[in-house]
Amino acid sequence: MNATFRVGFLGVAHFHAESYAKALKKIPGCEIVGVYEEDTALGKRFGEEFKIECYRSISELLDKNLDAVIITSENSKHHEHIVQALDNDLHILCEKPMTINIRDAEDVVSRVSKKGVKFQMCYVMRYHTVSILVKELIDSGILGKPILMVGTNKLNRALPLLRNWFTNLSLSGGGAVMDHTVHLADLMRWYTEDEVVEVYTEIGKNVNKAISVEDNFFTTVRFGSGLIGHIDGSWTYASGFYTWGDVTMEIIGTDGAILMDAFRQNVYLIGDKHPGDRLSWSYYGCDPDLEMVRDFKRCIQEDKPPRATAKDGLEGVRISLASYESSKRGEPVQLHQL
Amino acid sequence: MADKIHVAVLGYGFMGSTHIDAWQMINGCIVKGVWGRDFSKTKQFAAEKGIRAFPSLNEILDDREIDVVDICTPTYTHAEYAVQALKAGKHVIVEKPMALSLRDADRTIHAADKSGMKLMVAHVLRFFPDYMQVKKMVEEEKIGEICQARAFRGGPFPAWSPWFGDVVKSGGVAVDTAIHDVDFITWISSSTAHRVYAKITRNVNSDSSKYDIAVINIRYGDGLIAFIEASWAHPPSFPFTMKLELDGTKGVIALDNQSPVPISLYTKDANHRYAPESLPWKPMIHPFPLDPFYRELSHFVDCIRRDENPMTDGRVSRRSLEICLAAVKSSEIGKPVNLPLEV
Ligand SMILES: NC(=O)c1ccc[n+]([C@@H]2O[C@H](COP(=O)([O-])OP(=O)(O)OC[C@H]3O[C@@H](n4cnc5c(N)ncnc54)[C@H](OP(=O)(O)O)[C@@H]3O)[C@@H](O)[C@H]2O)c1
Repeated sequence: MNATFRVGFLGVAHFHAESYAKALKKIPGCEIVGVYEEDTALGKRFGEEFKIECYRSISELLDKNLDAVIITSENSKHHEHIVQALDNDLHILCEKPMTINIRDAEDVVSRVSKKGVKFQMCYVMRYHTVSILVKELIDSGILGKPILMVGTNKLNRALPLLRNWFTNLSLSGGGAVMDHTVHLADLMRWYTEDEVVEVYTEIGKNVNKAISVEDNFFTTVRFGSGLIGHIDGSWTYASGFYTWGDVTMEIIGTDGAILMDAFRQNVYLIGDKHPGDRLSWSYYGCDPDLEMVRDFKRCIQEDKPPRATAKDGLEGVRISLASYESSKRGEPVQLHQL
Repeated sequence: MADKIHVAVLGYGFMGSTHIDAWQMINGCIVKGVWGRDFSKTKQFAAEKGIRAFPSLNEILDDREIDVVDICTPTYTHAEYAVQALKAGKHVIVEKPMALSLRDADRTIHAADKSGMKLMVAHVLRFFPDYMQVKKMVEEEKIGEICQARAFRGGPFPAWSPWFGDVVKSGGVAVDTAIHDVDFITWISSSTAHRVYAKITRNVNSDSSKYDIAVINIRYGDGLIAFIEASWAHPPSFPFTMKLELDGTKGVIALDNQSPVPISLYTKDANHRYAPESLPWKPMIHPFPLDPFYRELSHFVDCIRRDENPMTDGRVSRRSLEICLAAVKSSEIGKPVNLPLEV
């Protein structure tokens, strides 16, 4: 690693790019070297905001003696960007979902295994103080044997519309299922240290009729141990409700229960336009994006394995794709059948 | 029928007692008496409520003064008692679930049709003030078309009565408890359920005979999807909780009975949260126009007086039972179950 940690952005189509850039600015010894973004107007805006160079081609950026790249391009471009970064022996922090098909996901796992670089998935809930504490509680045995995990990771319906590609199937690979299955699926995998063996998904009619990808769904999963999980990652919240969205999980064990509401640390904000103005929340809890980026740097520096790896990326992709398959067939899908 | 409506209640347990309190608040109703198999316990209970203890069910059925039989016995007895009471020319209100099989539900519906008496199944959730508010908001199209619904209903095991733990007698949590939300969501959906996929986890606690937590996914004909979680396996310290969320084209409605807490009391021993829905339905604490059981039974009285059909008659209630039975079946076979079910 260079004396300062030199990072480039491969695509900034996902809003999280901004959050990760802000995190890098807060962490001592980091430099954002530049950005490559196909949408030149977006790339320019990002470059101006963070006062960094906006390169015209990927190779130009990758030539700049980087240590690592953060890949926050559209989902469909992740694979291509990962391959290029690996070819340049760069460490990678990759936005979820890792890829939009299994073949590419398996390819990533195999390529990463052949390189001496770190590959870390942006499974941000593994870096959130609240969900980490829940992991510690589960591991302590206080719940006895976990039996059921019911989670929501819902999003305000206005958010996916802010960037057109989220609702463009060829760029996103899907709607809410593709976007919001993986965080909860990954948390459940992390908590159980087990794999999903069966997936059943119902996709509902859209709350937003103007978009062509699905915006709501319920997924039921079964783990190898028999534990049942339920995932709701719908883009259905409305303005004023839970601000942007939520990550909640109810965990039932033989000896107890936990209710987690990870982003619940909020001050209430009440508008003054109308007497009936809805409450919205102003969040003051921990910053998991910051912790995740900090840990990425630490893993590289100390040569430690990241908390969420390419294998975890692959399993997320597998579960999301199985959801689509299940919804299409109207049946549960066994993962090894895919 | 005389001016006054005379009621006899079967069962003096949790629901029997609750119903009797509510009946006694309704103008023009007289609770004539109560029956349970154990006569000495029945007598003791009846004395507390200031009503008569009937020594046998037949005495109620033969009593010409009694207009209404209110069935608050364990679920596995509902159909049999309802059919007998209807045949005896009584109006019948029966606790939910109306039966544990579609065959028994149909038997009850048939008996009501034949006798011409009123039959209502006590789906009390429709009369809860907060759920009534939700229904009103949906009717006012506050959130447009509903696309997704999720509900939670849960708490510790209903330990006051052992028969709940016997699936054959109670139907388990998927039938006994989930049916409240199934009925409510089906009611506001104005569509019919087509497909059910459910998982029912057992043995959450050490007692192996219990169906403990049900997670039920329902697909309705018009593309609405619903998710209902019903539990009686939460730890003993967990307060009885009800949640509902409706996601529509124009917004979201959300309800959580644990969040509106009008009174918190802290003592040196404990912290008591007086949320309306977690309290026993005592008139002092819950003024009676708000009491859901008062409203529910008043609706039945209105239907009798005006010769109208109760909103949760046998056919309406059968639909909810069918969905719950489909959930049990789905969990057993590990596959989604299409409706209608074969009888
Ligand atoms: N709407 C709601 O929110 C709600 C809540 C709880 C329960 N429920 C429903 O209400 C019904 C009653 O529940 P509960 O909790 O009130 O039950 P419970 O407390 O066990 O009371 C049952 C009563 O029925 C009598 N009984 C009469 N015939 C019986 C028979 N053949 N077998 C057993 N008991 C008989 C029992 O007295 P003897 O033993 O002396 O006969 C007892 O008084 C159930 O269908 C339940 O699902 C509804």
